[in-house]
Amino acid sequence: MCIRSRPSRWLAGLMVVLLAAISACSSGSARTPSSSGGVVHLTFWSWVPNIANAVSLFNSAHKNIQVTLDTIPTGSNGGYAKMLDAVKAGNPPCAAQVEYQEIPTFLLQNALVNIKPWVASSQSLFVPWQWNQGVYNGSVYAVPQASGPMALYYRKDVFSRDGIVTPPRTWAQYAQDAAIIHSHAPHAYITTFPVPDSAWYTALAWQAGTKWFGTSGDHWTVNIANAASQRVAGYWYGLVKKGMVKTENDFTSAWYKDLQDGGVVTWISASWGDAILRQNAPNTAGNWAVAPMPQWASSGFAASNWGGSSTAVLRGCPDPQAAAQFAVWLNTNARSINLLVTDGYGWPAVPSVSSIPSVTGNPKVFSFYGGQNINAVFQQADQNINESWGWIPNVQTTYDALDSAFASAANGNGTFASALTSAQRQTVASLSGAGLKVTSGP
Amino acid sequence: MTFLFVCTIYFVLPVYWVLVSSTKSTADLFGSFGLWFAHFRLGANLRQLFAADQGIFLRWLANSVLYAGLGAVLATVISAAAGYALAKYSFRGREAIFSVILAGVMVPPTALALPLYLMMSRAGLANSYLSVLLPSMVSPFGAYLARVYAASAVPDELIEAARIDGAGELRIFARVAAPAMTPALVTIGLFTFVGIWNNFFLPLVMLSSQNLYPVTLGLTVWEGQTYRDPSFYQLTVTGAAVSAVLLIAAVIMLQRFWRSGLTRSGLTTGALR
Amino acid sequence: MSAAPAVRRRRRSRVPALFLLPFCLLFAAFFVAPIGYAVYQSLFTTQRSGLGLGAAQTVFSGLANYAAALRDAAFTGSMLRVLLFMAVETPVMIIFALLLALALDAASVRFPALFRSAFFAPYGVPGVIASLLWGFIYVPGISPVVQVLGGVGLHPDFLGPQTVLWSIANILTWEFAGYNMLVLTASLKAIPDELYEAAQIDGAGGLRIAWRIKIPLISGALILTTVFTIIGTLQLFAEPLVLRGLTANISDSYTPNLSAYTQAFTDSNYSMAAAEAVILALAALVLSFVFLRLVQRAGGPGAGGPRAGREAGRRRTGGRR
Repeated sequence: MCIRSRPSRWLAGLMVVLLAAISACSSGSARTPSSSGGVVHLTFWSWVPNIANAVSLFNSAHKNIQVTLDTIPTGSNGGYAKMLDAVKAGNPPCAAQVEYQEIPTFLLQNALVNIKPWVASSQSLFVPWQWNQGVYNGSVYAVPQASGPMALYYRKDVFSRDGIVTPPRTWAQYAQDAAIIHSHAPHAYITTFPVPDSAWYTALAWQAGTKWFGTSGDHWTVNIANAASQRVAGYWYGLVKKGMVKTENDFTSAWYKDLQDGGVVTWISASWGDAILRQNAPNTAGNWAVAPMPQWASSGFAASNWGGSSTAVLRGCPDPQAAAQFAVWLNTNARSINLLVTDGYGWPAVPSVSSIPSVTGNPKVFSFYGGQNINAVFQQADQNINESWGWIPNVQTTYDALDSAFASAANGNGTFASALTSAQRQTVASLSGAGLKVTSGP
Repeated sequence: MTFLFVCTIYFVLPVYWVLVSSTKSTADLFGSFGLWFAHFRLGANLRQLFAADQGIFLRWLANSVLYAGLGAVLATVISAAAGYALAKYSFRGREAIFSVILAGVMVPPTALALPLYLMMSRAGLANSYLSVLLPSMVSPFGAYLARVYAASAVPDELIEAARIDGAGELRIFARVAAPAMTPALVTIGLFTFVGIWNNFFLPLVMLSSQNLYPVTLGLTVWEGQTYRDPSFYQLTVTGAAVSAVLLIAAVIMLQRFWRSGLTRSGLTTGALR
Repeated sequence: MSAAPAVRRRRRSRVPALFLLPFCLLFAAFFVAPIGYAVYQSLFTTQRSGLGLGAAQTVFSGLANYAAALRDAAFTGSMLRVLLFMAVETPVMIIFALLLALALDAASVRFPALFRSAFFAPYGVPGVIASLLWGFIYVPGISPVVQVLGGVGLHPDFLGPQTVLWSIANILTWEFAGYNMLVLTASLKAIPDELYEAAQIDGAGGLRIAWRIKIPLISGALILTTVFTIIGTLQLFAEPLVLRGLTANISDSYTPNLSAYTQAFTDSNYSMAAAEAVILALAALVLSFVFLRLVQRAGGPGAGGPRAGREAGRRRTGGRR
C-alpha cells in the first residue's frame, strides 16, 4: 500500500527502514533461563490453581534454580497454542503444563526435549502407567504430575430410598439400577451420557481393556472400533435408546443443576470430580458416597483414568537439565504434592500416598461423603489402570469425530458402534494426511 | 415507543442476568431461577473478587483501562487524520490506499495471530504492554468511518476559508475538521475502546505474565479453572459483571460528547448549503 | 481545491502524506506484514515420515494447501453454511438496526441517549460471557424461555442440528445490532436540520421523511454496515466456539474461521490454516465487491457518506447524474 502516490514513496522507504530495525532487534537469544551468579532462572507456564504455592516452595528449597510462574489459560483455551507459538519464536518457557493426551501432539511439532538423561534415575518414584505417558519411542518427554483415577460417585440417600442396597458391582447391575431409579422418579436418571464429551467415553473404553492407540515400529496404530470398545458403545447406546440415561452434556449449567436437585444421581468420574460435587452441590452434603467403578468381568478388577497432566520441558530451553530437575521435584516432593492435591487438581503420580496428609485424611472432603475415606477407593483405582494405554498426535481430531458421530447417533442417525467406526476412519485419514505412517487395527 | 421498550428488554435481559448472577453463590448460580435473586451475597462475592490472587483483578482492570483507553484515543486520532486526508486531499493512489484498508478488514484475525507474535518476539516486544497497544492503535474500520464522515461533514468551503485566513493545514485539521467530525470521532472512539477492551485473541497470543493481562484474558484464565474448581464460576461471573458495569458506564459517558458534536455540526451546516 | 494557487498546492502535497503516515506505518506493520507472512506460509507443507517425531521438513508446495482445502468436504460445507448464514442474517441485522436508529431519531422519543445506551450495551459484554448467557437461555432443563414456552405447549430445541445456526444468529444480532445502529445514528446526525424543516413545511409526515429523506441520505452508512455485516457473518467464530461446549451439533469445522482455528491451534497445521484463512478473505472480498457493484448498478451511491456517496456516484457515472 501507499506506493502509488508520490508522497507515499518515502513512506515505503521508511517502512523498509522500520522493518530492518525490527529484524536487527531480533535478539535470537531465548528469554529463559538466564543465569546470574550461578543461579539459573527458569520460567514455568501452568494453569493449575494455586500451583504458585508449590513453585515458591521449590524456590525456597533451591538456591541455584529459581522458577518464575506464569499463569496462562488452560491448554484447550489457548494455552497450548501459546506454548507452540513460543517454541516457534525460539523463546519458550523452560517448563510447561502438558496433559498426557497432548504429549504426542507436541512431539509432532518437535516442541519437547528428551529429558531421559536427567530423569531416568527417577523412574521408580512414579506409578508405572503414569510414567509411561511421557515415554515415546524409548525417549522420555515429560514427568508425570497427576492423574484422574475413576470411581462411581452415587447418591446414597436416593439409592436406599429406591431400595438399592449396595452400589452396582457390574455394569449389568448398573443398568438394572438405572431402570429402578428412573421408574421411581421420572425426572431422575442414574446418569447422563455426555454426547459432546468423548474424553469421558474414551475413559470408559479404556477400562474395558482396549488399547486405542499405540506405536509399532515406525507406525502409529489406531484401533478405536475394536470389540471391547464396541461392547461399551453398545451398552450405552442401549441405555440411551431405552431412555434410562439422559444425554445432556456434563459441565453445563443444566447438568450442575441436575447434580444439585437429584436429576442425575450418579457420576462415573475421576478423583478430581470431588471438588466439583462439593462446591456445586453443598446442599447434598452427606448424601454422596464413592464406590469402585462397575466391572465388565465377573472376576478381577479394572478401573480407568480420566485426565492427567505432566510437566514437560519445551524445546529451546537453554538449561533442560535444571528444568527436568524442577519437574521431578515438583511432582515427587511430598509437601509439593500435598499442595497440589489439596487444591483438587488430581491424583499424585507417586505410588505411595501415605505421606501426603491431604490424601490420607481430609475431614473437609470426607464429611461431604458421610465420613467415608473416598481416597482409599481412588488409590485402589490408580493401581488398577490398564497400563498399556497411550495417545496419538492430534487426538482432538478423534474426539471431534466421536463427538459428531455420537451426536448423529443420538439424533437417530446410526449407532454409537458405527460412531466408533467412523472415528476410526477419520483418525487414520487425519494421521496419514499429516504424512505419518499409520496402521488401522490392532 | 412499545417497539423501543420491547427492544430494551431484549437487549438488557442478558446484562440483567449477569448482574443478578453476581449476587449469588456458586451453588445458586445453577440451582436457582436465573432471572431472580436467591440468597443475596454480592458483598461477599466482591470481596472475594478483589482479594483473589492478592488483588490481581484490580490490576487487570487497570491494564484494560490502559490498553483500551490509550489505544482508543490514539487509534481515533490516527484514524481521523488518515480518514481526513483520504477525504479532503486528492492525490494519486488515494483510492488504492482506501481499497487496501478495506481489504485489511477481510482477513480473519486467526490467520494474523501467529505472524504477529513471531514479529513481536523478533522485536523483543512479546509479553509487553506495547505488544498489545501497538496493534490496537490501527483501526481500518476507524479510518474508513472517518473518511466517510469527513467527506460529508467537513465542507470544502470551510477549509478554503480557513486557508485564505492563513491557517496551517494542521491547525485546520484540529480546529475546523475535527470538531465537525465529532459524532464520527466519538463513534470511532467508542468502538475501538470497546473492541480493545473485549479483545481476547491478541492479548492471549502476546502475553504470558498475569500482571499484564487485561480483564478478558484474566477472566478466561479463571473460567478455565472452573473445570476443576467450580468456585471459579462465581469469580468469573462477578468479574464479568463488574467489567460490564464499568463498560456501560463508559459508553454512557462517551455518549455525552455527541450532544456537543451535534450543535457544532449545526453550526457548520450553514456553510454547507 | 482547484481554485488554490499552484504554489500552495505543491506545499500542501506533502500534507496528506503526513496525515496518513502514522496510520500507514502501523497498518503496514500489523496488517500487511502478517498477511504477507500468512500467504507465504500457505505455500508450504510440512513433510513428515514414520512416527513424525523429531524435526520435520518444510517444502514449497505451491497451491497444494488451497487444493486440499477445497477438496475437504468439511471445509467446503462450512463455507456453504456461512454463505447461507450471511444471506439470512445480513438483512435481518441491517433492517433491525435501521429500525432502531430511525425510532431513536424520531423527535417524539424521550431519553434517546438512555435507549441508545441500552441497545449498545450488549456490545460491551465480552463474547464469552454473552455466549455463556445465551447458552443458559438455550439449554433445556434450566432455561426460563423453554420453561415458559413449555407452558403453552411449545418445545423448542434451540441447540438441535437444524436450529443451532439460527440460535447463533440471534446471539450475533443481540451483540451487534446496537453497534450498527450507532453507525446509522451517527450518520443521521450528519443530516442538516434544514432538510427536515423544508420537508415539514412541505407537509411530509414522520414516515415519509424517514423513507424519502433519511434513508436515502444515510444510504452510504447503510452500505457500510451491510458490507461489515457480510464480512462479520463470514468470519463467524467466537459464538460457535463457545456453544460447542453445550451441543454436539457444532463440529470443530462448523465455520471456515473455526476450521482455520482448529487447523492452527489444535492440529498445528499452520500452512493449512493460512490457506483456509486466505480463501475466506478472498470470498469476503469478492462478496463485498459484488454487493457494492449491485448497489451501484441499482443507481445508489457507492460506499460513503451522503455527500461522498454523491461525489462517488458522479465520478463513476462520468457526470451523467
